[in-house]
Amino acid sequence: MEEHDKILSVRGLDIAFRTTAGSVHAIRGIDFDLYRGETVAIVGESGSGKSVTMKAAMGILASNASVKGGTILFSYTHADGSPETVDILKKDKKWIRRHINGKRMAMIFQDPMTSLDPTMTIGRQVMEGMIWHFKVTKEEAYRRSLKLLQEVGIVDAEKRMKNYPHQLSGGMRQRVVIAIALSCNPDLLICDEPTTALDVTIQAMILELIRRIQRERGISVIYITHDLGVVAKVADYIDVMYAGRIVEKGTANEIFYDPRHPYTWGLLSAMPDLDTEDERLYTIPGSPPNLLYEKPGDAFAPRNPYALKIDDRLGPPMFRITDTHYAATWLLDPRAPKVDMPPELRARIARMKKEAGLIAGNE
Amino acid sequence: MKASAQQAAAPVTDGTVFYPDDFELKNNADEIRIDSNFAAQSFWKEARIRFCRKKSAVFGLAMVLLITLLAIFGPGMNSYTYSGQDLSRKNFAPRVPVLEDIGILDGGENISTTTGSKKLNYYQLKKLDNVYYWFGSDTFGRDIWTRTWSGAQVSLIIAVAAALIDMVIGMSYGLISGYFGGRVDSAMQRFLEVANGIPRLVIVTLLLLVLSPGMLTIIFALMLTEWIGMSRIARAEMLKLKEQEFVLASRTLGAGSFFIIFREVLPNIIGPVITQVMFSIPTAIFTEAFLSFVGLGIPVPQCSLGSLISEGFNSFTTHPYQIVPPIVVMALLMLSFNLVADGLREALDPKLKEM
Amino acid sequence: MKKYALRRILLSLFTLLVILLVLFVLMQLMPGSPFNDEKLNAEQKANLYAKYGLDQPIFVQFFRYVGNMLTGDFGVSYNISKNTPISQLIQTRLPISIAIGGMAVALGTLVGLVLGIIAAIWHDTVADTVATVISVIGVSVPSYVFALALSYSFGFRLRWFPMLFTAKQIFASSVLPSVSLSMFTMASIARFTRSEMLEVLGSDYMLLAESKGISGPALIFRHALRNALIPIITVLAPLIVDLMTGSLVVEKIFSIPGVGSLLVTAIQSNDYNVVISLSFIYSAMYIGIMLAVDILYGIIDPRIRLAKEENA
Repeated sequence: MEEHDKILSVRGLDIAFRTTAGSVHAIRGIDFDLYRGETVAIVGESGSGKSVTMKAAMGILASNASVKGGTILFSYTHADGSPETVDILKKDKKWIRRHINGKRMAMIFQDPMTSLDPTMTIGRQVMEGMIWHFKVTKEEAYRRSLKLLQEVGIVDAEKRMKNYPHQLSGGMRQRVVIAIALSCNPDLLICDEPTTALDVTIQAMILELIRRIQRERGISVIYITHDLGVVAKVADYIDVMYAGRIVEKGTANEIFYDPRHPYTWGLLSAMPDLDTEDERLYTIPGSPPNLLYEKPGDAFAPRNPYALKIDDRLGPPMFRITDTHYAATWLLDPRAPKVDMPPELRARIARMKKEAGLIAGNE
Repeated sequence: MKASAQQAAAPVTDGTVFYPDDFELKNNADEIRIDSNFAAQSFWKEARIRFCRKKSAVFGLAMVLLITLLAIFGPGMNSYTYSGQDLSRKNFAPRVPVLEDIGILDGGENISTTTGSKKLNYYQLKKLDNVYYWFGSDTFGRDIWTRTWSGAQVSLIIAVAAALIDMVIGMSYGLISGYFGGRVDSAMQRFLEVANGIPRLVIVTLLLLVLSPGMLTIIFALMLTEWIGMSRIARAEMLKLKEQEFVLASRTLGAGSFFIIFREVLPNIIGPVITQVMFSIPTAIFTEAFLSFVGLGIPVPQCSLGSLISEGFNSFTTHPYQIVPPIVVMALLMLSFNLVADGLREALDPKLKEM
Repeated sequence: MKKYALRRILLSLFTLLVILLVLFVLMQLMPGSPFNDEKLNAEQKANLYAKYGLDQPIFVQFFRYVGNMLTGDFGVSYNISKNTPISQLIQTRLPISIAIGGMAVALGTLVGLVLGIIAAIWHDTVADTVATVISVIGVSVPSYVFALALSYSFGFRLRWFPMLFTAKQIFASSVLPSVSLSMFTMASIARFTRSEMLEVLGSDYMLLAESKGISGPALIFRHALRNALIPIITVLAPLIVDLMTGSLVVEKIFSIPGVGSLLVTAIQSNDYNVVISLSFIYSAMYIGIMLAVDILYGIIDPRIRLAKEENA
């Protein structure tokens, strides 16, 4: 597909936070792209910086954040159809609020209980964005909000318009948050751990809802999550983040069936699986690095059973595996020894492929 | 994702030095299990650092210490006593040995009369060259410096005693109420709500009418009113900690209720409790001063900051210097305790979201 | 909501009763008898006692007492103004105290809110430091110190405002007392507003609102303030009480003929009747205000006003 279908292009993003303990270097050089209609999942443990990246794109970083470098190019079309590309990092907050937030990029957050204003009715919260951006009349806004609530699957929407957030269940609240996000017809929807705070049964419903909306409206979606199960259901492309960097990126198939970075191996191995014959649950040893400190070399080395000596000195560049699959590990250097993924993981992937093949075969 | 703008598809070759053993496995199976990322720092050490970082809190602490020291040693610094009167030397302005040579605090004061203001210096008028009253003298010829610091002594003793007794009573009440829960808690809280409904002012006034005024009575009156705040804090903390595992562990080991309350939970709530004590001291100082002003305070000849202010009030348009020292000391004292308490609260319970 | 209000009302009434009991007991302990005995002989005394039911058993006396207090019959003063009905003494003074107190509350709350909001929005800047310093001073320094300072500087030295209260210059002479009284309220509210606002400003729903594109005053007023202000009502009741305390001394300093200075005089002249009656009035006011605030809070906060309904 052509270049102009690219919506978001992040290059060399570098962000640090001023905290009382010192400067936390949270994002250490990130590149990634998003094209129209795609679903990208950004995966990583807590503290890897996944939320920060997207908050930078939305212009809602905390006040103690300082962007040290990089560009975030966002492409959209004006009302008259003319295309436009801006570097969000170069725009001031007011401009971003006026032109990007809600209107072109929207975000939904993890905990719907705290995301909604407890003292404002649902109706008003859904209508607020429309009135703010498009100056529609209250009646028009009411009509549209009603339709939105129905679109996200809330029955007796009229009654709910007058309710307050605490009167709704968790799943309903998240639907409302989605409705709010869609209220100004954005091109990009960012979902920050949208299902983590919900029951498992509701999780599936919400994911299905987002997928349906994406198809119907043709919007692009970015998922931020640590849950590979979620990723498997929804993502076209996956970016694995660790310690403020992307360590592996590829299509969903590539990441799940042919992972190359030891961290990805760890993540996949740690997913509990009913068919696992191992007696122990695998976890990645150690804990994520404290981003207060700058250490040379590969940030994952201290926890990497396949670490090379060079990992202590020099951080690996991105190595190309296929046109769409890249990983940042010295293991992919031609001079590195041939290291294969752990046998348990290989067995599991073989199982997964067989199941997928079976399912695909049973049409 | 399309490959178009992707760079770094080949290994780095721009002058990076590679060593021969770079690409060997580290075989670090033992190292990786050690979690060394986050150095454990003792809670108190961190709290102390946070406290010291707050300049206002440090200032407050310094002031408190300074005033306490002066309260202890101040009266002894000159030869006057707090009750020794000398009517021939009443209403003298402040005179300090070294400063008078520069022209300030030289014993002179401006008296405004019907014909305009006049500068008078009683020391010169009465030819008292070697007499110094550092803060001046009052209407009975008593030295204000000595009286101020004796008064500070009394005020501090009353306030700290009241605060500490409150701490014991309030804390016990709150801890017991919170621990036992259920009906006991309900009943105790109802009682507390009723007690809270009676204005502090009323209780204190009535008490002091019935009992004879004096240091003990005032402490008693203060005690009756401040324990409510402390008990609320203690109860809230208890409710938070009650369900934690160390309590459960203790119980399964057979510890009795009171053991758990006072030996297990109590040490963990010292932080908020101390903060509350720090906050209640200024309230106690204020209440005592207020009582003195109203006439229910320390009986003469003993003095407290409040009674000094009350006395000085009568002549504050003619001899303002008489009321200034006790007011400044009291205001500084209250301000400092508040600053310290503020600093403590933030140090022990930082709420800032940092990312 | 209704249950909540009912419970609060019942509790308040019960508290009032307890207070009356305490006051009644104290009355019995006070030396002297309710009437000026010097001029009465035994027969007249007996008659008066019978008339006022003082020869009845204690319980009956108590009920009478309660009835009297609640209807405004407080008995007579001994020492301040012999045999004058206390209600008469209070009548002219109460409005003045309430007026000045009311001004102080209004002034303090308004200025306090503004200071707190400024400190929160521009937190960790100079504006915040200044506002915080003012607040800490306002909270630490007693109202009568302010009264003295203001009285001395603006009243005595600069002569901008009269030093004593006069009915002829009601407005001008109320300024200094109201300002002195309002300092504590202002400082407390400023601190509280700042911390509540800071907490609200850091909340998730603020982030969501920003991600919707809302910015500027709309963001602050529509989302932050509404949530921050609700708890502020809860501190209002104790603050008003502190105001009542402060008013005693402030009234004395500025010679305001209000209820506060009456109480001070009564204490100093051992006029127990007046002290007890005024204590009752203060208690009743306090309980009333607390009740009003509780119910108001229940109405304003939708989480209390509307219970969780059945949902899918």
